Formats: sequence, C-alpha cells, structure tokens
Amino acid sequence: MGILPRSSYYTRDNRQTAALIRARQPYLVKNIFTGIGLTTFVISVYAFTIKAVAQDDFSDVQIPDAPEQPPHTPHTGTARAPEQISVRGTK
Amino acid sequence: MQSGYTCHRCLRSLIGTPGAKSFARHVRTTSVYTTTSKRPYTQINGKTRAVTTQQRRTAATAESLNHRVTRNAPGDLKSAAPFGGEEAIKSPERVLLQSSNLFHSFSNSPSPAIRKRAAFMKSHAYCPHPDHRQTRIVTSPHDPEARKTTKSIHPPAHVNFECPDCGLPVYCSERHWMDDYEHHAEICDTLRQANEDDHDLHSGRFFPEFEYPGPQIEEILPNMTNWDTYLYTREYNAINEDRSMRQATRLLTYPMTIASVIHELSPYNIRSGGRLTTEGLKSLSALRYSLHPPRSGSGLGIEGLRPTPPAVRIFILGARAESSLPRQVWVQLEYLFHRCPLHLIFIGPESMTNRDDEFPLPERTATNPFGGIVEDRISNYTKITTFVEYYHTMHQANYFQPFDPYFDCFVLFHPGLGHPASAHEWEETLPQLLETKVPIICTGYTDWDMQRDKKWVEEKMAGEVDLLMEAGENRFRSLRWDLNDLDPGDISAGNWGVWAFRGKRYETTMRDGVISL
Repeated sequence: MGILPRSSYYTRDNRQTAALIRARQPYLVKNIFTGIGLTTFVISVYAFTIKAVAQDDFSDVQIPDAPEQPPHTPHTGTARAPEQISVRGTK
Repeated sequence: MQSGYTCHRCLRSLIGTPGAKSFARHVRTTSVYTTTSKRPYTQINGKTRAVTTQQRRTAATAESLNHRVTRNAPGDLKSAAPFGGEEAIKSPERVLLQSSNLFHSFSNSPSPAIRKRAAFMKSHAYCPHPDHRQTRIVTSPHDPEARKTTKSIHPPAHVNFECPDCGLPVYCSERHWMDDYEHHAEICDTLRQANEDDHDLHSGRFFPEFEYPGPQIEEILPNMTNWDTYLYTREYNAINEDRSMRQATRLLTYPMTIASVIHELSPYNIRSGGRLTTEGLKSLSALRYSLHPPRSGSGLGIEGLRPTPPAVRIFILGARAESSLPRQVWVQLEYLFHRCPLHLIFIGPESMTNRDDEFPLPERTATNPFGGIVEDRISNYTKITTFVEYYHTMHQANYFQPFDPYFDCFVLFHPGLGHPASAHEWEETLPQLLETKVPIICTGYTDWDMQRDKKWVEEKMAGEVDLLMEAGENRFRSLRWDLNDLDPGDISAGNWGVWAFRGKRYETTMRDGVISL
C-alpha cells in the first residue's frame, strides 16, 4: 500500500508534538469551554428525550379490588342457566 | 537550495581537498562588521540595557548564511573520511558538534570562523567598565557608555577577558569583569544562548527548520496570531526545539514582518490594543485591494486572458544583509498572497552585503541606468531587484514614479532614522517618501529606538506625518539574540518592534466659507 503521509506535528505514537501544543495554545481555553458547552447540550437533549418517551407512571391511580366470583362465569356443575333452556325449546 | 543536506558534489569536493584552504573558499568572511553600523539598546528580561555604538548594525549578518556554508564545513574539518553517501552525512561522525557540546568559549572554539570573530572582537570592541574613558558619544539613556563619566581616568582598552559563563570576550581583564559583574549578569544568560546558537550553526547538523514549504491552495488560511500558528497553518516541518525555533525565525522575520502588516488576515486591527489606526486601515485596505485580487476567471489560452494589474512593489530601503537572504525565504511572502505578482526592490548603499559572488554589478546602461541586479526567475509571481544606490538619487531621477498607494509600499528594516550615526543619510530620503503618500513600514531593535525614530520623523517633517500603526512589539520578531562583533555586550533581536507611517493626507475643508485643501 505504501507509506501514508505523516504529519510532522505528531510523533510516531500519534502524540502531539510540542509545536502543535504551542500552536493550539491561544485557543485551548476557549475550545475547552466550547466543548463543555456542546457536551452539556447534547447530554441534556438526550436526557430530556429519554425522559419524555419513557413509560408513564400510573402508581397514583386507584384500581378497585377484583370480586371473588365474577357474575357470568359458567358453573362447574350440570345445572343449566334458565336462558339457555328457553332458546332451545323447539329442538 | 531545497535540501537540508549538503549536495554530493560540494561534499565530495570538500573531502577531496581537506584543509583550511577549501574551508576558506566556502566560508563567507565576516567583512560586514567593518562597515559602519548602528547600535540601539536592548531589552532583556524586562530590564533595559542599552549598548550603543556609533556603528550601524548589519541585520541578518553573515551568520545567517553560514547555515548554507557550514554544512560543507564538516567535510574538511574532520580528517578525510571515506565518503559513504547519505548515510555518512547522517552518521554522528560527520556532525562537528553534538547538541550537548555547543557551549565553547569563542577564542577556543572548534570552528575557525568563530575563532576569527573572537579575534575581531578583541581588536575592535572596548571594555565597558566605567573606569575607562568614553570612546564614543552616548546615544541613549540606557547606553552603558553613559556610565563612563569624566571621573574615569583609564584609557579605553580592548576587550580581552572572556567571561567563563558566557564564553564571550566582554571585559579587558578579570578584575574589571569581577567588578562589573552585576551589570554583566543581566545579559550573561542571553549571551550564552547566543554563543550556543552560533556554535549550532557551525555544528554541521541537519537543519530541518531551513526547509520551507511550497504554495498552498487559496482556501487554506494562514493564521498569523503568532509564530506557532503561522508555522502550523503554513505546513512547515514541526519545530519542537527552542533553538531551532530561534534559528528559523531569525530569517523568516523579514518576510513575515511585512506580511503580518499588509495581509488581510493581519493580527493588527483598529480595536483598542490592536495598534492599527484608522488612517492605517485606509492605507492598508488600499494595498490589500491589490494584494488579494478577486478571481477573474482567467486561465490558459486566449479565452483565459484577463487584464492584469501591475505588480505590487515593496521597496526595502536601507537594505543590508536582508537582500542576501535565501530566495526561498523571500518567496514565503509570495505564497501568502495568491494571484498577486510581487516585486521586491532592495535599495541601499549596502544592499550587496554578503553577496560577494554576484559582483561585479551590471553596467549602468540606458535600459538599466542604476545597474540593478534583476532576479525574475525565482518563481511565477516574484521578482527581486537590487540597487546599490541611495534612494533619494533614484527618486530624483523619477525612476519609480508614479507611486500609487494601491500598489506600493516602503519597508525600512531597523533604519535608525533618529540615530545620530545614520540620521543624516535619511534626511534627504524621508520627505520624498512622505510625498508619495505610500505606507511606510518601519521596524526597530527596541521600543526606545522606535520612539526616537518616530520623534525624529515628526520633528523633521513638522508633524506632516500620519501614524498608521503604533509602535510596539512585533509578533513576528526574531526570537534569536544576535551578537554585535563590534561590541559583544550589545545584543539585538531582529525586527523586535514595528510601526508604520505615511505622509499626511488632507481631506477638503471649509476655510472662510470656501472649500479648500
């Protein structure tokens, strides 16, 4: 593939050289603050969004207790309900 | 010369004939120091210390060219080593002085050129101890010569004793050195640094800092806040060491001082603290109109022809050794301006300093009445002309007229306008410069130097001067302290400060109810 062009402003281990650090020096503090500002903005957008689409919390809604025998459930015995006998009167 | 290494032919020729003779052939002798030079005071570590002589300092002295020469030097300073090609050049045996071995007393230096300089100093420089009588007029309140009063009875003595800490001959005897130690201690560290830097130039090492980049596309903007941002955005090789930075900026300060003022991305502005005045903005905007022309759709062929304006002329007056700077250094100025042809014109009686191999000068003919050396093959957009002549002579001959503030600019590198030794030479030139209404960029060795120049200009011209840029430290000053062989205690940084002025322009005004100028 051949040698990739290397910038003399980075050492062999890709660390910044003194020349690069000196060149960045007038902007370092401003850049750090900008970086902090952008990161907080991004994190806050994520936090808000995740919070906004999260599941609703219904723990404050009162649900009444379930009754012991529900009214229309079929009996386990052989006695028929009266409505069913009258429907099949002709057969 | 693009390469940082010695070319094979030079090296082979040196190794073939070892000895002092071939070395002398290649070394430029420091004959520049015999010319009259001006000395301003220096400001080191916040302490002002003035050292002035009547002599005019030659800027960018012979040492600046030794970097081209000394790479040839190791060949004959060592005994004839077998020439093994590039590997032999890089191997440590070819380097005369290792970087840890750069401090040597000047008289006992391994380099013959430096020993010669030491001998020169010992025969020309005077001991600054107050017990000696004065040898010259005091030129500034910070001048150490001012310490020598009428009570001093000893006759002036040449320097002989070398300070063991800085290696330079600074006093006539050890007794005077010990006596005056507190004054010497102010500059001793800087002198030692200058000593080591001088030995570094003679050390025979490879100089990556003298390899310059080529042109870039127009969209890459050079950042001219300071040296580091400029070097990075212009894609120079990274200069990590302080010593290399000093060596590199010493040469580059000349084109960069000019560029930092006239380029549209200049760090000087009209806000408070930006040092540019409103008049300065007007003058520089006019110049920038020519320096940054808009794209005109020009190209190759007949259909690509466009009317082109004349070249921007930068007149460097009172040029001394700056006209001998390697052309690759001057062409860095051109690479900052795209599509703008530049014409650099060096004018001055000493403009052929260090250019001995270009003599004899061309004959003065009808087409070249002042015998100027024209170099127009340097690059596509740069032409360099050198005239050995006083500027006022050429001005009176109407040689460069008409002047146009949109195209022309005068640059004066450390002119010493108000300095007693050189002021008389500028008296005739100055009114002519001001009458052209072209911006004049002026540099100086120190703040006091510049203020004195400014006062002299305003006095001489009775206030008919507009200040374009306030005097102050130059962002692109040389970071290296240069020695003056005529007075070792006098060290200077090239182009330490910069300011600019112009002949006063008047708008029309009303006078007695009538419009007048």
